[in-house]
Amino acid sequence: MSRSEHPIVRLCGVSKTYGATHALSDVDFSCFGGEIHAVLGENGAGKSTLMKLVSGVIQPTSGSIEVDNTITRLKGPADAISRGLVCMFQELSLVPDLSVRENLMLGAVGSGLGRLDTGVVQRAQNTLAQIDGGGIGMRTRVADLTLAERQQVEIAKALTRDPKLLILDEATSALNASVVEKVFRLIREERDRGVGVLFISHRFHEIETLADRVSIFRNGTHVETFDNGAYDYGAIISKMVGQRIDDLFPAKPSTAPDAEEVLRLDGFGWANSLKDVSIVLRKGQITGLGGLDGQGQGDVLQGLFGLLKGTEGRCIVAGTPVSITHPKQAKNPKLGIALVPEDRKTEGLILDQSIARNLELAALGTDGINASDPAIYQPFLDALELKCDSLDQPVTELSGGNQQKVALTKWLALGPRCMLLADPTRGIDVKTKTQIYALLRRLADSGVAILLVSTDYEELIHLCDETHIFYQGRVARHLTGRDVTAEAIIGASLNIPSSAETSEVANA
Amino acid sequence: MNTLKQNLPSIDAIFPYIGTVLLILGGSYFFPQILGFDYLAQQLQIAAFLGFLALGATLVILLGHIDLSVPWVLGGAAIVSTSLVGSGNPALATLAIPAALIFGGLVGIINGVGVAILRIPSMVWTLAVNSMLLGVAVLNTGGFNPKGEASGTMIWLATGNLAGLPVAFMVWVGATGIIALLLKKSAFGRYLSSIGYNEKATFLSGVSTPSVIFAAFAIAGLCSALGGVMLAGYANQAYQSMGDPFLLPTIAAVVIGGTSILGGRGSLIGTVGGVLFITLLTSILSVMQMSDAWRNIIFGLIIIIMLLLQTLRRKGS
Repeated sequence: MSRSEHPIVRLCGVSKTYGATHALSDVDFSCFGGEIHAVLGENGAGKSTLMKLVSGVIQPTSGSIEVDNTITRLKGPADAISRGLVCMFQELSLVPDLSVRENLMLGAVGSGLGRLDTGVVQRAQNTLAQIDGGGIGMRTRVADLTLAERQQVEIAKALTRDPKLLILDEATSALNASVVEKVFRLIREERDRGVGVLFISHRFHEIETLADRVSIFRNGTHVETFDNGAYDYGAIISKMVGQRIDDLFPAKPSTAPDAEEVLRLDGFGWANSLKDVSIVLRKGQITGLGGLDGQGQGDVLQGLFGLLKGTEGRCIVAGTPVSITHPKQAKNPKLGIALVPEDRKTEGLILDQSIARNLELAALGTDGINASDPAIYQPFLDALELKCDSLDQPVTELSGGNQQKVALTKWLALGPRCMLLADPTRGIDVKTKTQIYALLRRLADSGVAILLVSTDYEELIHLCDETHIFYQGRVARHLTGRDVTAEAIIGASLNIPSSAETSEVANA
Repeated sequence: MNTLKQNLPSIDAIFPYIGTVLLILGGSYFFPQILGFDYLAQQLQIAAFLGFLALGATLVILLGHIDLSVPWVLGGAAIVSTSLVGSGNPALATLAIPAALIFGGLVGIINGVGVAILRIPSMVWTLAVNSMLLGVAVLNTGGFNPKGEASGTMIWLATGNLAGLPVAFMVWVGATGIIALLLKKSAFGRYLSSIGYNEKATFLSGVSTPSVIFAAFAIAGLCSALGGVMLAGYANQAYQSMGDPFLLPTIAAVVIGGTSILGGRGSLIGTVGGVLFITLLTSILSVMQMSDAWRNIIFGLIIIIMLLLQTLRRKGS
């Protein structure tokens, strides 16, 4: 595993912004041939943006990309592939309605204008046979394959492209351990032939066994690159975490672990996404749900709001076992459950309608509430300091933060017993965040039970009274009090044994 | 909220009325009799037939859906009512109108099932329902014009006059008023346009969206059936494909009236204007005694111009 002299790809002062958000700022980064380079970072740290830049999917806002020591503008994925930069994306890039064979030939080297190279298929079959994918029929529709089989096909497809730099973005997330080991053997063979590999994974042990070098990203910046093994888990995690802000959050009152139960989930499950989840929400408490994206946290909220069919386990609201099958039932004052969904633009609000109409929509038709009375919304709008010309203004004209205030108020006016919030502060400016945090704390103090899904561990630490961290549909760890630390949250998110055990692993 | 002025007619809704006035003024330049009371009253009577169809279609289009089963709900209702009257049994004859309305409501509910529960795009589902209704009608009549006649009530509804105004027009205005009130005062009306803008967000606000879709399609079926009863009364018979020429003018009237074909935005008052505009346009073009070919070209052109003006104005503001 001799590393090439010159980097295959080098990023110099690269930034990428989407509107006001900086996905990457001023990043210098190189990857060499003959080396497996792992990239680590939290959700939103900029890993995927980096991959998309290198594979030509997006262009940098500023800065330059050098391929083989010459400054290059990658015009698109096809251009990148022709230069040997081959990416296997986590959002699988196979066409579901085509057969495996057709997918392998799609855009293969040397094909075009109807000329199809069937040699590609033979080589892909050989590769598949090496990674336990020999049983995948070439004529099978991709849509009929399992997620794991699709990933195997993706890997085989990427390797048929003769990469100089192979980019694997969560390439093994659906594969089981024995297949992963075979994929790794294949990747090492590629490396030994001089191919560079960029590897993104949330599985720490995979990075530990595979990587030669590790780079850490945080909030769109490149923190550090070091040889694998230079730091232990704890050090790596604190590099991923960075610094914190304290006064963003309202003071936490002393916890009352014996407060009245508002809602209890016992052995809650749904299909394959959620298994044996037990959570208790108490009066006046803010309970956080954390973890990496899509580990089942969001499904808990949806299940509680009656959006999932066929859930298992028991749900007890105010002492009565209930089965919630429809949002209309959930919002009924008898249950008093409200959900502020994750995507305010398509789920939480009707952007083309006025603020007033949006506010009324949840309250309309609810017993004992006069939806057309502005007085029921005003206290919350005042508390959140909604900025608007009038309530007749279309919601689409408001800023993201103000939109979220409308989405919150719409439900607060119902006086819910239990608020479910899906990442309510995502993409929102700091000032609005503090207003929302303060309001949530005040609501909790007034007796509302709050269940908050967050991708921001600062919220889990400083806002929530207790936190459940999800991993693959299960509660990986339940953290309370002083145990709620950034290290513990990230460790649990990656399903690494808790800190005491970590040091043992590190010493072993 | 009560303090809000959201229910004032928008400029979109006033637009077709301006077009109607211009048509009358322009037409009267060539044909002065257009300004006569008799001509205008007759136009109001004819407008009522299209008006019932457009009334129901507005609800469905506000939802963001479309109902293409209008022609054969109309035809079917006409056949049902005239056959019952033609049976010669006075008991059955009195049931003619209710039976036709029940027929329309049932087809509307079938449309609702397909769209709200089976989640089949309304454009496909209602087209299939229309085609099946056609088939049933042909099976029933053997492909000939169905036998039967209109009852006295039906003829009076379609052609009668009350205090100098056509009864058909007054029934239309009455029905429109009732549904306009329903849209304005009930949660149903609010849900309708919310679903049209964003069904997902409406559902997540705890609204039982399928029942709203059901109700809208059922009301649309009722309206089309009422149109069929009226038209059968006007012609004193039902005939094959009597509804076919109405489908596109119905949709055109709704869209010219300022209702977005994508759902959400729109009003009944605009649809009334759209109906008057389309009816007058058709009438004036036929009075001008030009060939069918030119009449169709000009009809299409004027509708495009109306829609373009609407779009340009909205973009400008």
